[in-house]
Order: sequence, then C-alpha cells, then structure tokens
Amino acid sequence: METAELKLQLKKQIIEFLNLLSVKPDDIKDDEPLFGEGLGLDSIDSIELIVLLGREYGIEIKDPKEGRKILTDINTMVAYIEQHRTR
Amino acid sequence: MTAMLYIHQTHCIQPQQNPLQANIELINEPVDNKLLAFEPSYEQIPPGILRRMSKAIRMGVGAALPLISQPVPVNGIIIGTANAGMDDCVKFLNQIVQYEEGQLTPGSFVQSTGNVIAGQLGLISKNKGYNITHMHLGLAFENALIDAIMQLNTNPSNSYLVGGVDDLSLFNYNIEKLSGDYKEEAISNKDLYNVDSPGCIAGEGAAMFIVNTIKEYAVAKIMAIHTLHSTDVEFVKQQLKIFLQNNVQEGTEIDLFLSGENGDNRTTAYYTACETLLNYNATIVRYKHMIGDYATASAIGLWYACKILQTQQIPAQMIKHNLTKTVHRNILMYNNFEGLQHSFILVSAI
Repeated sequence: METAELKLQLKKQIIEFLNLLSVKPDDIKDDEPLFGEGLGLDSIDSIELIVLLGREYGIEIKDPKEGRKILTDINTMVAYIEQHRTR
Repeated sequence: MTAMLYIHQTHCIQPQQNPLQANIELINEPVDNKLLAFEPSYEQIPPGILRRMSKAIRMGVGAALPLISQPVPVNGIIIGTANAGMDDCVKFLNQIVQYEEGQLTPGSFVQSTGNVIAGQLGLISKNKGYNITHMHLGLAFENALIDAIMQLNTNPSNSYLVGGVDDLSLFNYNIEKLSGDYKEEAISNKDLYNVDSPGCIAGEGAAMFIVNTIKEYAVAKIMAIHTLHSTDVEFVKQQLKIFLQNNVQEGTEIDLFLSGENGDNRTTAYYTACETLLNYNATIVRYKHMIGDYATASAIGLWYACKILQTQQIPAQMIKHNLTKTVHRNILMYNNFEGLQHSFILVSAI
C-alpha cells in the first residue's frame, strides 16, 4: 500500500475508533500533533490508538515511552506501521 | 413516605419539541412504534467528552447541565435510570467475544457503568458532593426522589439535582419487543388509548429537577410518595386509598390525576381502578402518547405536573376527562411499569 493511501486509511480508522463525529480525514494534517493542541486527543484516546494499531496492523506497543513517540502525529504513526506491521 | 420537597427548576429532553403543544396534529408521531427524543446541540458539553457519550448519557448530562451550571452549586446529584449506558455495555461485551478477551478499548467500558450519568455530571461540574444512581427499573426515578427526601431530612439546608433518564437503544428495544412490551401493530400516538391491544409505544427521555426545602420561589412541592410491587389490581387500589387517606388533608381534594396510562390493555385495569377513588370532577390527564413508555417515564410525568401547576394550562389532547375545573393545585401522579411496579406521587402548587 502506498504511503498516501495508508495515511488516508489510518485517518479514517482514527475517526471511527475515536468517534470524531465532526472531523473529516482532510481535517487531520499529517504533521499536526494528535494530542494536546491539534486534534486535541487525551490519554484515553492514546489507549484506543494503541488498540487500533494492534487490531488493524498487528502491532504491539509495550513501552509507553516508545508509544508516545509513535503517536506524535500521522507521519510518525504511518512510518511505524510501514516498518512493523504484521498484517 | 410523607415529604416536603420543593422543586425549584426543571429541564427535560423528550420526543416532543413543544411538549405543551395543544394541537394533537402537530405532535411528533412514533416511527416503527418508537418515539425518539428530540436532542439539542449540547453546547454545554465539551466536544471531547460528548463524542464518547451514548444517547442516554448525552440526554442525562444535557438535561442536567443547564440546572447545575447555576452560580449556587448543588450539594449532590441523584439520578434514577434503569439502563444508563447499556449500549456501550453491549458494545464492550461484543468486543470481548470478537477479540477473544484480547485488546479491548476502554471507552465503551468507561461509558457502560450504571452510574456514568451521575459520574459524568460530577466530573463536568466539579461537584464532589453526594453522587448516587438508583437502578430499580420502573421505580428508579421514584427511588431517586425518595433518596432526595431522605437526604433533605438529614441536611435541610442542602439542594440536590434529581433526575430520571433512559434511552431507547436498539438492544433494549429488541429484547423488550421479544418480551411483548411493545405493540405489534403500527400505531399513531393519536390512537394509542383507543386501541384494545397489548403493548405500548417505546419512548425515551430525561427530566431533571433542582430540589430543596425552601418554599420561596419554588414551582411545586412534593407532598408524599409511595412505591409498591404488586400484580393485584385490588391491592394497588387499596394502597392508593390508604395513601390518599394519609396524605390528603381534610378540606383539600385531588384536582388532577396525572395518569401513566400507556395504551397497553394489560395494565389499563390498574388505572381505571385508581380513577374510581377520585372525585367525579377531578381532571384526568395522560402523557405517554407524547413520550412513549420506558422505565423512568414518570420523571417526564413530574415535569408535566410542574408545568401544569406553573402555567395552569393543559393541552386539550392530554385531557382524558375534565368537567369544569380550570384551576389545579393538587396533582396525584400514578405510574405503573409493566403491571408490577407502581408509584403514587402527590404534587402540589406552592
């Protein structure tokens, strides 16, 4: 799958998993922080995203410090998925 | 239980945009025998929290926030609900099966507990006072009221938020439909009381009240409340007779009977029996064709009682029987849930 295609798919999955009713994939910028400012996600969302990576891409994140880096923005998530996905 | 609880503010979310609509042609009709609540935009709920809320939680929090956002905070939050976040509970249980007890998302779990409405209200309003949820099916709201009365007996200077909330989730509807709770045939709310068949229209809603012991500026007072479980019509009638003897003072009479009649011919006999204890000139008013029926529908009933006492206006389509009465000061509410759980509430003008 092309990177651009993967980014769009991931954005759609984030919207669905986190029930971001008023957000469209285009509203999520690739380099915009997912937490705090930007999309404004919180700690419960981070757990939802870790579950998303596990279910959809077979990626298991065990180290919280590693997770923080991976979940910085769409670019970091997609880069990690491309390297570590098992499905 | 004899009480003296004053209701100061009320708010509700229910299937009618204009709950006091006089013209029956203009009230919202059920779709597939379901009357769904007309939800506002919930501007007081932060968007990040709103997106995680299921409908029952949205309605409960959305109906309560306008009342508890006042400058004077309430001392406690008391909610009655039969199901609360049942939708999320089912979603979470389905995930357990689907993912073989593996990775589960916390959102549905957090939102699925019974006390989630009172809990969310406490968190959003930063209220650290008494926070409790009563879940006794058709008497959940009544038990919340009784709790408020007991709290005010102990702490007479306090104020409490009391409310009743339940939604019409697909899960609940399917289960209750199978158990015969809802009508098989499609029915208009205009014809609800004229069709002799079992079942009712499914409904949902949330009604909230600020209560305390202060008479000044109150909109209504609750004089007494009684709950019972029985399937015996005669026993229920006798209980109501005792309730009226104990709580209606000599020289006063019940002006209005606010009936929880819901069009289910299996429970009509209870309402008919209770009506025989009223004076002939008492007005009889019904409201379940407006909101459908559900476990905490009596909370909306109490909201209607408050509005009738405040405005002294009753939409013609809600009146079952009225002779000449134009002023109503004492309202007897009787509600019956599934022919088993009964409640009498005496509400009076100030």
